[in-house]
Amino acid sequence: MNKTIEILFPEFCNLYGDISNMKYLQKCIPEANFIETNFGEEPTFIKNDVELIYMGPMTEKMQEKVIEKLKPYKQRIEELIEKNTVFLITGNAIEIFGKYIENEDGSKIEALGIFDIYSKRNMMKRHNSNFIGKYEDIEIVGFKSQFTQSYGNNEENYFSKVEKGIGLNPESILEGIQKNNFIATYLIGPILILNPEFTKKILQKMGIEEPKVAFEQDVKNAYEQRLKELKKL
Amino acid sequence: MRKNLKFYIVLYLAKLSRIALKIIGRDATYFPGKLAVTLCPDFLGRIDKPKTIIGVTGTNGKTTVCNMIEDCLKENGYEFIDNHLGSNINSGLASTLIEGATLLGKQKKDLAVFEIDERSAVKIYPYITPTYLVCTNLFRDSLKRNAHTEFISNILTNNIPKETKLILNGDDLIVSGLAPENERVYFGIDRLETDLEKCENIVRDITVCPKCDTKLEYDFVRYNHVGRAHCRKCEFASPKINYEVTNIDFENMKMCVRNEQKEENYDVINNNIINIYNMLATIAVLKEIGLTRNQINSVLKNQKIVDTRYSKEKVKNIEIITQLSKGMNPIACSRAFDYVKKEEGNKAVFILLDDLHEAANSSENIAWHYDTDYEFLNSESIKQILTAGARYLDTYVRLQIADIPKEKIVYGRDEISLVDKLNLEGIDKVFILHDLYSIDLKNQIKKKVEEKILENN
Repeated sequence: MNKTIEILFPEFCNLYGDISNMKYLQKCIPEANFIETNFGEEPTFIKNDVELIYMGPMTEKMQEKVIEKLKPYKQRIEELIEKNTVFLITGNAIEIFGKYIENEDGSKIEALGIFDIYSKRNMMKRHNSNFIGKYEDIEIVGFKSQFTQSYGNNEENYFSKVEKGIGLNPESILEGIQKNNFIATYLIGPILILNPEFTKKILQKMGIEEPKVAFEQDVKNAYEQRLKELKKL
Repeated sequence: MRKNLKFYIVLYLAKLSRIALKIIGRDATYFPGKLAVTLCPDFLGRIDKPKTIIGVTGTNGKTTVCNMIEDCLKENGYEFIDNHLGSNINSGLASTLIEGATLLGKQKKDLAVFEIDERSAVKIYPYITPTYLVCTNLFRDSLKRNAHTEFISNILTNNIPKETKLILNGDDLIVSGLAPENERVYFGIDRLETDLEKCENIVRDITVCPKCDTKLEYDFVRYNHVGRAHCRKCEFASPKINYEVTNIDFENMKMCVRNEQKEENYDVINNNIINIYNMLATIAVLKEIGLTRNQINSVLKNQKIVDTRYSKEKVKNIEIITQLSKGMNPIACSRAFDYVKKEEGNKAVFILLDDLHEAANSSENIAWHYDTDYEFLNSESIKQILTAGARYLDTYVRLQIADIPKEKIVYGRDEISLVDKLNLEGIDKVFILHDLYSIDLKNQIKKKVEEKILENN
């Protein structure tokens, strides 16, 4: 059966080259059905089951609009998480699923409230770092670049354990969120291209038994080189 | 803001440090200003400024536009201060003002030309009110520093002084929306044959109407979000252009600029559309301050783009073209890739886009490569792509994701030895695309390519 992947609001949620994750996935599973849902449209996942829902980082103004857009579907999103639908949420898109986002002046933007985290913005202090973290039996590599830090309890549902870099915030060693097959991470950029073994795990979660990734050897070479470099820092 | 005792002490210390640095033969364009703004954070507010200040900001083209403005002013007898040797952040501007000031903190010249980093708006505009501020364009730039265009346009709008007259790129809908209360004129280029109906770039940062969120209808797209658009639901549209290029004659390298119903011809120095925008921005600001067409064109027509940005040389029957392609700046690199694609003949391209500092000390965040249109290099006329440097394994993958056949790609860690693998058979042009800080590397590769062409013959 063909897999369906829904990309949420690609015209906005596309900062930092993140949309390349979906381009790469298209090369890994060319037979799959990729649906690009624009902001003005009703998401496919509301009425139909899909194998993967992807949303990438966006501007701060857009975060507020996306929260309002998805609020009516909170229950459906929770239902899909319980049903083991795969979600891949990157960069500041993770904040949409927390309790609230706090501005520098203390004002708060209420988010979907699905997870027990909240985020604080500091628009004049951008955080940049490199990352290595343990996810199941693999080491994830990547980059962070963000105006926000998140707080709250992700001990029971973190995505990966930090080996280099920061977790939800500089004091945390637990990065992102994972509940069932819902994965949200602050890592930005082409994380599926950077992490071929992780990509295979995503494909497996989507029900592909013997997953293969595109340009496997070349992508692996780049991964190993980066892992070596990051470990040396 | 008044001058107090602390200001004078800091001014004298900064001036002394400048003299000391000069005596020992060191660069004095950075430290004096850095010292001043560190010891006296509102130093820029306390020091006198020239009566007229021309500021130039934007993602790409700031330096080129400043250089052209300065050359035109100089040739026409204007005296002014500028920061072209120093940095474009608050400390660079402070250094320039310190150098231009008397011991009482008064400016010796009445005019200044400042290149101003857009990210530094918060630290500059509360203290310096440009009389005119040119904004060339606003695109995604270093994501680690500038994040995204909404962030940069917000800090500009929130900090540009109300008294400043803006000279804005009217073909850039992000730029044309800056500081809406300010007096302004727009420059732009009318529809060209090469303009498109649909955007071919990965990145387009304004797709909906900023007033009512309805999807914008582009009348034409030039590249990324540059073009002209209107909203189908409300009155929002690209602005009426005050300084408009109505015709470009590439054969004779001339362009016609219309301002207030009057048309004037100018010489074009380079066929790259980016340079035409830079010339147009220069013409607009100089006309605003009262220079005539002849005063401007007599200087612009003799302009040469500096070798560090662009150079062209014919060795035997092959052209070697070097083009600056700023690393971590996806739009600058995409424009360079597009330029290579559209040039006539069979081409080989060297790609040297690594940040050398990151290469030596860290592991560069490569996310920006995926906002960059490597897909433009997937062209029949581009026969070979040679990619080297610390990130060679990453760019090798990126090129493949752009569907470029493996057999066209040569990759390796060492940049210089890559020239050995350059295949000149049937090649008319060799492009060397390089980062701002890779000038030495570019020169070495260029020399080796020259030698290889000569040996081949």
